[in-house]
Amino acid sequence: MLQLQRSSQRGIAKRVLGSSRRSYASGAEPYDAVIIGGGPGGYVAAIKSAQLGLRTACIEKRGSLGGTCLNVGCIPSKSLLNNSHLYHQASHDFAKRGIDVSEVKVNLDQMMKAKETSVTGLTKGIETLFKQNKVDYIKGKASFVSPTRIAVELLDGGSTEVEAKNVVIATGSEVAPFPGGGIQIDEEQIVSSTGALALKKVPEKMVVIGGGVIGLELGSVWSRLGAEVTVVEFLGGIGGAGIDEEMAKQFQRILSKQGMKFMLNTKVLGADKRDGKVFVKTEAAKGGKEATLEADVILVSVGRRPVTEGLNLENIGVEVDPKGRIVIDDQFNTTAQGVKCIGDVTFGPMLAHKAEEEGIAAAEYMKAGHGHVNYNAIPSVVYTYPEVAWVGKTEQELKAAGVQYKIGKFPFAANSRAKTNLDTEGQVKFITEKETDRILGVHIIGPNAGEMIGEAVLAIEYGASSEDIARTTHAHPTLSEAFKEAAMSAYQKPIHF
Amino acid sequence: MHPSLRAALGHQPLIKFVGKRVWPSSPEPPHAHPFAPKDIKDHFSDFLQRFQSSKSSNPQAHPAAPAGLAPSPKKVAPSGVNVSGVQRYQEFWEAPAQFWNPRVHALEEWEIDAIQTGGASLR
Repeated sequence: MLQLQRSSQRGIAKRVLGSSRRSYASGAEPYDAVIIGGGPGGYVAAIKSAQLGLRTACIEKRGSLGGTCLNVGCIPSKSLLNNSHLYHQASHDFAKRGIDVSEVKVNLDQMMKAKETSVTGLTKGIETLFKQNKVDYIKGKASFVSPTRIAVELLDGGSTEVEAKNVVIATGSEVAPFPGGGIQIDEEQIVSSTGALALKKVPEKMVVIGGGVIGLELGSVWSRLGAEVTVVEFLGGIGGAGIDEEMAKQFQRILSKQGMKFMLNTKVLGADKRDGKVFVKTEAAKGGKEATLEADVILVSVGRRPVTEGLNLENIGVEVDPKGRIVIDDQFNTTAQGVKCIGDVTFGPMLAHKAEEEGIAAAEYMKAGHGHVNYNAIPSVVYTYPEVAWVGKTEQELKAAGVQYKIGKFPFAANSRAKTNLDTEGQVKFITEKETDRILGVHIIGPNAGEMIGEAVLAIEYGASSEDIARTTHAHPTLSEAFKEAAMSAYQKPIHF
Repeated sequence: MHPSLRAALGHQPLIKFVGKRVWPSSPEPPHAHPFAPKDIKDHFSDFLQRFQSSKSSNPQAHPAAPAGLAPSPKKVAPSGVNVSGVQRYQEFWEAPAQFWNPRVHALEEWEIDAIQTGGASLR
């Protein structure tokens, strides 16, 4: 034990503290804030806390910062989405634009290296930000001894304990297993999103279980690279929670034209591996009509679940709901005083930017007792091609709430820049309150919808009307003019449609 | 468009420019989280009760006061202080540093080496 303590003390001195004599040991001054988890919520909370003058440490067990998002989520998938799109364009689109290319081939190894370069660069970048902001980075697995004391099993051996006045749990989420355990993920033939980002070759046939954001994005990647992709979805529409039904239908039509197949209202019963193939058994969601799909690879993307294992929450009285989410109030307090919680491991959509906002607000609550997250203005983006993005309310939500609303739409087919780009699929749709013209929701399918939605988020955050947007000059010729014209359409009439 | 022209057209912007945020000096009271399930929202007072009682059930827990607004060390010396003259603190770090942060609290690399080598490393 003595040896263990000594070695861990030495390790810490070398790794983190440099010339500092500060120690994590119990005799040291407690941190103002200790953040458990170095994902988008955790690392942002740590940096913000340090910027606000709180003495801060961040404990991360993965060995690299950035969480699921940077390591096996948003960032690597965007690298593959971007590069597979370029390949697809070169193969299928360049000729009509007057660019003749021959022998366009996929070099999957190189594509994966490009992905890894992006990931490594960004995760190392966060370590640099930690150093710049004087956040102590502890590589290890955290477990509560008390609400103010955390034991850390260090990744390279040994253990230590840290003391904190405030703790923020930001341990994120992990891939949810297939319900009932009927399908076991092996990350080779039966993959989660993690395995789907690292396939060794392009499968001939791929079945995607779950037509939400992750399934559609990764299905798109492999479809563009040549796989025959079938998406099996239990619900009657694709796009996941929060998508406007009209947009979901249009989205499905566009992806179908690109070659993806969809089986909606379909339940997956199980999957068997035989002769190098995987056979997926399905039936109609309402019962009856069974079918079997053959695939080389299946992607299980049925959702994610919070990660709290090993934190020893029961020891400190932190309550967890039946879905495994940590129960919090609107100031991110858990049921244990001094312990806050943000991001995927608690309520709300599992989105990196939502976690980041909560990270900043949690730091501000720790420092000043006030913070701000507007949950009505959290955008969602599906990074397929074209992209789909939305913020605020859907038509179906407003109907259910009995709110009277107006709709304004503008198709990219009528936008000059989209036409010059030969890229005219999709539309912008505004939903406004009938009486006041206040913008309640904006839904976009189109090129760069994920960038364009930022203007809608700003509009909703500051309570803008569609007329406010419509009377704001947008540069010509840009795709953003479609946004302005959709706003014009909501309160009067567009010019170009 | 110039604001006066807008006014002439009868368009009153709905956008609210809130300017630089200034927080009130006292912390705001907590509410149910907007995304909390209905049963938790409906019984938010239970949450608050558990939150408050977590302090008494776990004496090491930090008080709810934010770090930046933390008052100077709370001296918990209701009856004992005057009698015994002993200062009591709720949190150990609120006590003078000499009690929990002794001058020698972390060994230097050379000291550890010296111990491990039985002093040989000093030669």
